[in-house]
Amino acid sequence: MADTYNIIISGEGGQGVLSIAEIIAQAAWLQGKQAVCVPYFSTEKRGGISMAFAQISDRPIAFPKFRQADLWVALSERAVTRLESYLKAGTTVIVNSHLVKDLSKLESWQPRIIDATKIAKEQLHKPRTFNMVILGAMLNFVPGISKEGFAAALDKQFADKYARDPELKKLNQQAFEIGYELIKK
Amino acid sequence: MKILSINSRPMSEKNFLMGNEVLGRAARAAQADAMYGYPITPASEIMHFWAGEAGSEAGHDQGLVFQQAEDEIGAGFMLIGGVLAGRRAFTATAGPGHVLMQDAFAMAEAMRLPVVAYIMQRGGPSTSTVIYSQQEVTLACFGGNGNGFRIVYAPSTLQELFDYGLKVFNTAWKYRFPTFLLGDGYLAKMLGEVELYDPAERGLEIVPTEPYLLEKKRGIDLKNVIPSPELEVRYSDGVEYACLRNCLNMEEETLTVNQEIKAAWDKMAKEVVEHEYVGQSAAKTVVVAQGIVAAAARQAVQEASGSVGLFRPITLNPFPVEALRRSVAGAERIIIAESAYNQLGRMVKDALYGQVQVPITEYYRPSMSILPEEIAELIKDNVAV
Amino acid sequence: MPEEMSKLEIRSALPKCARLDSKPHLFCPGCGHPEVLKALGFAVDELGLQRRIAFGVDIGCSLLAWDFFDFDTVETHHGRTVPVMVGLRLGNPEAIAVAYVGDGGAYAIGAGHLLNAAIRNDNILTIVVNNGLYAMTGGQEAPTTHPGWKVKTAPYGADQYYIKAPEIIRNVNPAAFVARGITSRQPELRQLMKDALQHINGNHGFAFLEVLSQCPLNWKTMDSAEATFRVLEQEHAKLFPTGRF
Repeated sequence: MADTYNIIISGEGGQGVLSIAEIIAQAAWLQGKQAVCVPYFSTEKRGGISMAFAQISDRPIAFPKFRQADLWVALSERAVTRLESYLKAGTTVIVNSHLVKDLSKLESWQPRIIDATKIAKEQLHKPRTFNMVILGAMLNFVPGISKEGFAAALDKQFADKYARDPELKKLNQQAFEIGYELIKK
Repeated sequence: MKILSINSRPMSEKNFLMGNEVLGRAARAAQADAMYGYPITPASEIMHFWAGEAGSEAGHDQGLVFQQAEDEIGAGFMLIGGVLAGRRAFTATAGPGHVLMQDAFAMAEAMRLPVVAYIMQRGGPSTSTVIYSQQEVTLACFGGNGNGFRIVYAPSTLQELFDYGLKVFNTAWKYRFPTFLLGDGYLAKMLGEVELYDPAERGLEIVPTEPYLLEKKRGIDLKNVIPSPELEVRYSDGVEYACLRNCLNMEEETLTVNQEIKAAWDKMAKEVVEHEYVGQSAAKTVVVAQGIVAAAARQAVQEASGSVGLFRPITLNPFPVEALRRSVAGAERIIIAESAYNQLGRMVKDALYGQVQVPITEYYRPSMSILPEEIAELIKDNVAV
Repeated sequence: MPEEMSKLEIRSALPKCARLDSKPHLFCPGCGHPEVLKALGFAVDELGLQRRIAFGVDIGCSLLAWDFFDFDTVETHHGRTVPVMVGLRLGNPEAIAVAYVGDGGAYAIGAGHLLNAAIRNDNILTIVVNNGLYAMTGGQEAPTTHPGWKVKTAPYGADQYYIKAPEIIRNVNPAAFVARGITSRQPELRQLMKDALQHINGNHGFAFLEVLSQCPLNWKTMDSAEATFRVLEQEHAKLFPTGRF
């Protein structure tokens, strides 16, 4: 990896934007990469746009923010309108189609569409797996993290949670696989 | 997020942690035993962490003190009370809270009380944003109605949050000045790799604290640490009593207080002042930056071609004047970059007045991040080859 | 006059813990502070607490008590004596922490700290000397100024609003020691001081003692002790009833 791989997650407060960024960053770190993530938020802790910046690299990362994203994940409509300045020609765009209806501005980036909300609710019956579905989709693009490596990282990060709720591990794995495969098509 | 065992002091190991938690752990590693605070974004997690520590079984056993005060003024003065009781005490604040703390910090400055604060700069002035800036430099160094005798460290990475988060306590109690760690909202909220360690493993000794009031066996003579017009020690029935004040009557008393503080400050400065220089020595282009912007500048300078260097003050106060002057000895251009208007700039110009005749590029972006690319562009724009 | 009394005579008129060589004190002639301080000192003597007291004074006339006693003392910023003593007591659970403040420091600038310390039941004793105005700074209106009193910042008469603090403290903290005394009744005041100190010494929590006091200088009754005591005992004590709450 020449430079840092830059990821932006954006959505409504409460959608798990920061969690997704933290999970992917820490997963990369557990696999031996350098990683940093930082949230970006307005004064209203509730009801505002939520954004998180994550970077993955082979060398130490100097600054937690960057100009242009290699991967941009938009989870809500409002997130789309604000963030075009962070996109460059080759940015991979993943969009949660459940909430993002107007894709006209993003056409040139050929966004990958995934209705993570629907999958989480109707296929998995647990809205909270939303994050995992998105992470699965993302993993198609984030360099340096294998599926196995990611699963192992999750085992470490959620060790306490899995100990209390063993079902969660299976569920996460399912959600992740669905998200991963959906994008491959 | 993985949390280390609360009961143990951190052993040498790498972790993936948020900046505020790193600071909480640094305080624990330094054997801090009291925190008085008030919630304010982006510093609140430091207090949450400490509340967890103090309320745990181990915290109870160790007698850790935690109190959330009614406001930052209350927190600042409770902090003074804790220090007077001999606690290795600290607080954490930001922005408008930092403004309110200046009432207490002014008293601490006048009486040379070793209060410690972690300050995580956010937008300003006023409430502004909760995110980031470098606009509290002047406030941290020169706030209150005094002459700016507070020691201020400006860490630039998560690792330095731990290293200096530890160090502030020793500096405060050894030299008896209010001592602050001046971070920012990005450092506070970013997650990344940090190596935690037990200072004893690295040969770092913890400077002991001692009560100012109700001390039965005084190890230190209060006359050496409190300006004389503010202290009266007397004996009654063989018992020593100490009376401390900050209200004075005559101009001469105030002059004496300031002179004594300054004398102690100048002595301390020689030992405490810290800086970092990166890049070519006697560089023709010297970038000056502090805190997280210095991290960005470090990368830009390391990747730049040509005769470029970075001068980074680590202590903003006392400012490393001599080191800066030496660093710019061969400079044909100086670039100052900060996320504020002229707060670092002012200090640089003050240090260099009469010393250099080179153009200074002032890159001021109040509340905005400054990326490595931006500094690289500044360097390229007219780098002196 | 001190020159005419023997040291022994002076000594017996003052508490043992009072510092002799800072006498005569710096309070105005006829001021109520020395009466409050004496009552406190005698109570401290009787309870044997001299070496355990951390004595905090505010900015205002109370700062003149800075060297009144042989106590460990700290003068704080205006209105901030309560949080300093709260922080100190939390840091040293053996300390007898006493905040000695005026009505301005306690009920205006320091009101937030005072109310919250009471709500938290912090284990400190707060003594508030209530003379109905800001005395040290020249007689401005205070939260305790009587309606209609003419003071420097209300030259046409102070408004109808004033604060009755012990009543409020009792409302927010049913367990605290709460009382209002008066300088003109020393034996009662000394007893109140003892009971208040015993409350915090026994770790029972917040103790609050307001003492009605005279300020002949700003009350403009310097010429007549009778006038001073009339204002104190008839006007002041009428607006602020003494007693235990």
